[in-house]
Amino acid sequence: MTGKTIVITSGKGGVGKTTATANIGTGLAMRGHRVVVVDTDIGLRNLDVIMGLENRIVYDLVNVIEGTCKLNQAMIGDKHDYELFLIPAAQTRDKNSIEPEQLRDMCAELEKEFDYVLIDCPAGIEQGFKNATAAAQEAIIVTTPEVSAIRDADRVIGLLESSGLHRPRLIINRIASDMVKRGDMMDQKDVESLLAVEVIGLVPADEHTVVAANRGVPVVHNSKSAAGGAFLRIAARVDGEDIPLMDIEPKTGLFSKFKGMVGMSGRAYSHA
Amino acid sequence: MVTTGVVQVAGRGADVAFVIDENAPFDLVASELREYLASQSGLWSKGHITLNVGQRMLAREELAQIKSIIETKSGLTVTRFWFAPESMDSGEIQVEAKLPKSSKAPVQAAAEPPAHNEIVIPEPDPEPDPEATKEPTPNPEPQTAAESISAVESIIESLKSRHNKNGARNRNITEALFIKSTFRSGESLHHHGDVVVLADVNPGAEIRADGDIVVVGSLKGWVHAGASGDNRAVIVALELPASRFQIGKYEGVAPTSSRRRSNSSASGPKIAYVRSRSIHVAPFAGRFARYNKGVPYDG
Repeated sequence: MTGKTIVITSGKGGVGKTTATANIGTGLAMRGHRVVVVDTDIGLRNLDVIMGLENRIVYDLVNVIEGTCKLNQAMIGDKHDYELFLIPAAQTRDKNSIEPEQLRDMCAELEKEFDYVLIDCPAGIEQGFKNATAAAQEAIIVTTPEVSAIRDADRVIGLLESSGLHRPRLIINRIASDMVKRGDMMDQKDVESLLAVEVIGLVPADEHTVVAANRGVPVVHNSKSAAGGAFLRIAARVDGEDIPLMDIEPKTGLFSKFKGMVGMSGRAYSHA
Repeated sequence: MVTTGVVQVAGRGADVAFVIDENAPFDLVASELREYLASQSGLWSKGHITLNVGQRMLAREELAQIKSIIETKSGLTVTRFWFAPESMDSGEIQVEAKLPKSSKAPVQAAAEPPAHNEIVIPEPDPEPDPEATKEPTPNPEPQTAAESISAVESIIESLKSRHNKNGARNRNITEALFIKSTFRSGESLHHHGDVVVLADVNPGAEIRADGDIVVVGSLKGWVHAGASGDNRAVIVALELPASRFQIGKYEGVAPTSSRRRSNSSASGPKIAYVRSRSIHVAPFAGRFARYNKGVPYDG
């Protein structure tokens, strides 16, 4: 079995890379795949928290790379009954503890056993970014509809393309539909035309995402939430399914229409 | 101006252009060209030229025939044919004598595939010839016809005037560099010639070109046309939201007064050029010359 390594990156911090990694990983596992998610944000690990696995960490990525433990000793099984594993980052080390080649070798090893290897890339374009992208065959860029995030995404797409990762795909995260409606936020078309890459998913701003992160249960488990549904569809698209993008509708009086159209009843997060 | 009816030769600054009547049948063009080159055989020194055939879509055999006529009748080597937008309105065939490539390779040029509107004729790279580094400037001595002398004089005159006005108009490489994908933040490029981007130039990207810059898309990054000091260079873009850019030694900053800004920010293709020591931006009307009514930019 030969799997696929996908890096999830953004350039800018705080746009939702880790959330996207946890949710796409969980979504792919829910579809019956064997999935491993690798946190490469050494020194600032978060993915374990989002997945609710921080209490189970014994060994980490740097231990594996340095040969202190075996690969499968560092893999933490998900709390739920899926074929989903986490390799956590080391918290007491820094990005320079590993080399791109070492991570590439490790992912090549993982690809033999898993369908999908998802790499959660740290923010920035320095050593950590180089480590994380070296191993991947595909890239997913996460951005929010803000100029600063889009500028960084543009830079990262350029870097990925020049390092041979062509045709990265884009997730636009935290879209506040009511702001888009008012013209206060860029919409999908604006972002798409600026970045000129394929959009693989639109994730609405949804307070369920925050609640889910705090509980350590990725929001994708709550398929009734708007963001959870969006991440499920993204996982399906990563898996090769052809699902058209859905417009993100604001929560207005037309609740039934909204529910009927997108098949979910989550409360859209509204900016007060 | 030398005229043989169908073939005309004109000096265009540093370039020499053969302008061939668009409507003439090909056989006539071929024979006229052969005759003209034979009669002026002393005029050409060795060098490489690029053939600009304008809107006239010639068949491959015809292109090859023209190439062989030029190569046997003059010392010139034809390196490529191209169909340039600047000949669109005139609609003539142009054969432009270009300077040979300078030893400095253009940045990234090698990595770029040939543009779709070029036909590169494979040619073994000739030995670096001291003659070839000179411009194929016509040698006036063997000329007897008064017409050719005046043509030569006009070429030399225009060369002189350019050098006097702008210092060296350093456009040693006149081949355009085509960029076919979005030019992104953090990417930077310096090309010793014209640059054409068939996509957007995003904020944070930088392009320096010794020649003109044409963006078939939205120009939001920072660009510098005529980067070697050529104030005659222009910037053309389908959309020009960029608020600052440079042409030659002049810098342009979008005007802040609301009236002028509203004029300059009207959508549509734009051309930026230098007039009276400041950068002006005008709606682009499909030609590179004689633009006017531009909005002056600060700087």
